[in-house]
Amino acid sequence: MELPRGRAWELSDRQLGILFLLPFAVVSCLFVIYPALEAVRLAFYEKLPFQRTLTFVGLDNFRYVFADPVFWAALRQTVVWTLASIVLQTVFGVGIALLLNQTLRGINVFRGLLLFPYMVPTVVIALIWRWMFNPEFGVVNAVLRGSGLISAPIYWLATPLWAMVSTILLNVWKFTPFVVICVLARLQVIPLELYEAAAVDGAGAWRAFLHITLPQLKTVLALVVVFRTIWTFNKFEEIYLLTRGGPGTATFNLAVYAFEQATANLKLGAAAATGVVMLTVLFGGSVLYLWLIQQEEA
Amino acid sequence: MRRRERLTRRRFLRWAASGAGAAAFRLPAATLAAEKTGTVRVWGEPGPYGAVAVDGMNEWAQQHAPGLRFAIETLPWSDVYPKLMTDLAAGRPPHCISVESPIAFQLMAEGLLEPVDDLVQKIGRTRLIPAARWEYWGAWKGRQYILPAHHQAHLLVVRTDILREAGVTKPPGDWDWNDQLAAAQRIKAKTKLYGLCFALGRNLATDYYVISLLHSAGGRMFDADAKFQVVFDSPAAVETFEYIRELFPTMPPGAVGYSFLDVVDSMVTGQTAMVFYWGRVFGRAAEINPDLFKGMEAYQHARHPRTGKRYNWNDFQGWAIPKDNNPYVAEVRQALTHVLSSKEWAIRYVHSLVPNVSPVFQDVVQDPRLLQHPFFATKRRTIFEYYTEALKHASNSGNELLRGINPLAGIVHGRSILAQGIEKVILDKQPAGDAVKWVQQQLEAIRREHLRLLG
Repeated sequence: MELPRGRAWELSDRQLGILFLLPFAVVSCLFVIYPALEAVRLAFYEKLPFQRTLTFVGLDNFRYVFADPVFWAALRQTVVWTLASIVLQTVFGVGIALLLNQTLRGINVFRGLLLFPYMVPTVVIALIWRWMFNPEFGVVNAVLRGSGLISAPIYWLATPLWAMVSTILLNVWKFTPFVVICVLARLQVIPLELYEAAAVDGAGAWRAFLHITLPQLKTVLALVVVFRTIWTFNKFEEIYLLTRGGPGTATFNLAVYAFEQATANLKLGAAAATGVVMLTVLFGGSVLYLWLIQQEEA
Repeated sequence: MRRRERLTRRRFLRWAASGAGAAAFRLPAATLAAEKTGTVRVWGEPGPYGAVAVDGMNEWAQQHAPGLRFAIETLPWSDVYPKLMTDLAAGRPPHCISVESPIAFQLMAEGLLEPVDDLVQKIGRTRLIPAARWEYWGAWKGRQYILPAHHQAHLLVVRTDILREAGVTKPPGDWDWNDQLAAAQRIKAKTKLYGLCFALGRNLATDYYVISLLHSAGGRMFDADAKFQVVFDSPAAVETFEYIRELFPTMPPGAVGYSFLDVVDSMVTGQTAMVFYWGRVFGRAAEINPDLFKGMEAYQHARHPRTGKRYNWNDFQGWAIPKDNNPYVAEVRQALTHVLSSKEWAIRYVHSLVPNVSPVFQDVVQDPRLLQHPFFATKRRTIFEYYTEALKHASNSGNELLRGINPLAGIVHGRSILAQGIEKVILDKQPAGDAVKWVQQQLEAIRREHLRLLG
């Protein structure tokens, strides 16, 4: 049936699409693009929180952060924290997704439960983990001591190495479900014929995983890794709530460093400059990673 | 183009008449202030005393501004600085703040606070306890900006039963630094407890512990007599850092992440025999571990063997009124005057956490009702160690050795400079001399960046 045409109020599909996109565009401009641009601008100014004056200082804020050994330590720790988190999340995520892809009775209950860490607010998780990691009465040490694995308590959050391990564990626990959901969704649409054909050709489970499952997951894993890298690199609240960047500055990442510059050092410009550095690193890294994937596929 | 109007007699009279008219209309508006409505946000540190003061403010509000309600918002100490800075920067400050003096001094010098000289007169300039002066709470360039809430010192708190068990016989009041170290080591060796504990995390608490030891050793951060030049790099600072390094093996290993309340927990859960702490630790022990409370006593700090000094950290906690973006300045001024002029409210305030909040007015100290708290039956000596004796050894970073108010100290604590310095020694195993030089550089940078605050 042909719809009546020619009415003034009637919109074309393109116009309708634009109309639906408009609220998102407005909100994005107000709350994403404008603050980001403002942060980039602030990186070139000196601004004291209590005063309305802005003083242009050129690249001084960048010189300041690049000359600060804590910035470089924070950058190193950010890389360690991001890489370790992403590798573990991907490995566990794929593994758990493969398990949850089985057709068993009640599997949906497990699939639902898996979302639990992802749903709980970070502040609640961090507080619970602080208790769990308490050296004297935390459950982690109690289990380790009870099973005879350690004789003296581990000071999880007071030792630089263990503090970093603790923050990574928390991040992996909380965000592995995201990887699971993405991978599981892809797993469920891989044609079963591929596995049947491989089985006919004598391929075992490992070879089927290596030559069918993994290539099929490649695209989704590429996206997951890019998103998780961006989000983990930027992460603030898990580290701040669990260790506050300590002991010392052993678990500072760039986000915590920027926060400290703004609120403790009152250097809003230096904090913004740190943000610009993070933006540049992430943007460059993401473009390079996706380009490499494309090259490989080509 | 508009012609410039000449001032004539007629025009002058017209302006005068309009001015008088405006004033006449403003008069009822001013009287309407008492009819204001809303919530007056009062920031305080954790503890019941802020809420007691707010009860007093609400008593005033019921009589004079029934539409107003004062509400306490308590902030953990470690969050005070970032929260304060971000709220002030965002133009949404609390309407009244109870804060420790070094941070208050920074706000005062930044020009963010309402002067309160007239309120000092109303509350009673001569009421302060001996050895205390109004400027300890916050005066700058001849004007008073902070009103006293209480003073609170950290002292050496010991479990006398554990000292006996470890065979430490010399009374803690007679100790010097060497005796203190020996006692801590002996407790660690002879009992199941850690010898001593204080905070060594990257936070405000650690700064406070380090500074009191530094002052006892004869060191300072800034020289108040020489335009606050940085004088931290000194043998006294190196000695302080090395002394803490020697003490550390007697502490819980987790102390490197501890802040204020971790130290309290360390003692009241029976983990540690001695702590440097404010009177709060007694209230907490009485609440959760009454047996342990019985054996606890507080003493002035061990004296430094060479200088003979035994400085504590005294907060000199006061009330400040942010002047910008604050629609309730007039009401807060009146409510504070009401509370601080009242002996009844002062006693309720002090009784809310004995002996953590020490009274600041002599008439309150002498009021027999002050002694009507159960702790006085068994801990009277300890309580007066906090209330009066501690003032003889009072110091803090914002008024080092009580020789001059320094608005840079708040920034030092905001950045946890001293804590970072000692962490370099404890965690990174750096030589004390190197860590001291690092702190010196940081302090010099702070002074350079904030010279404007020094006038």
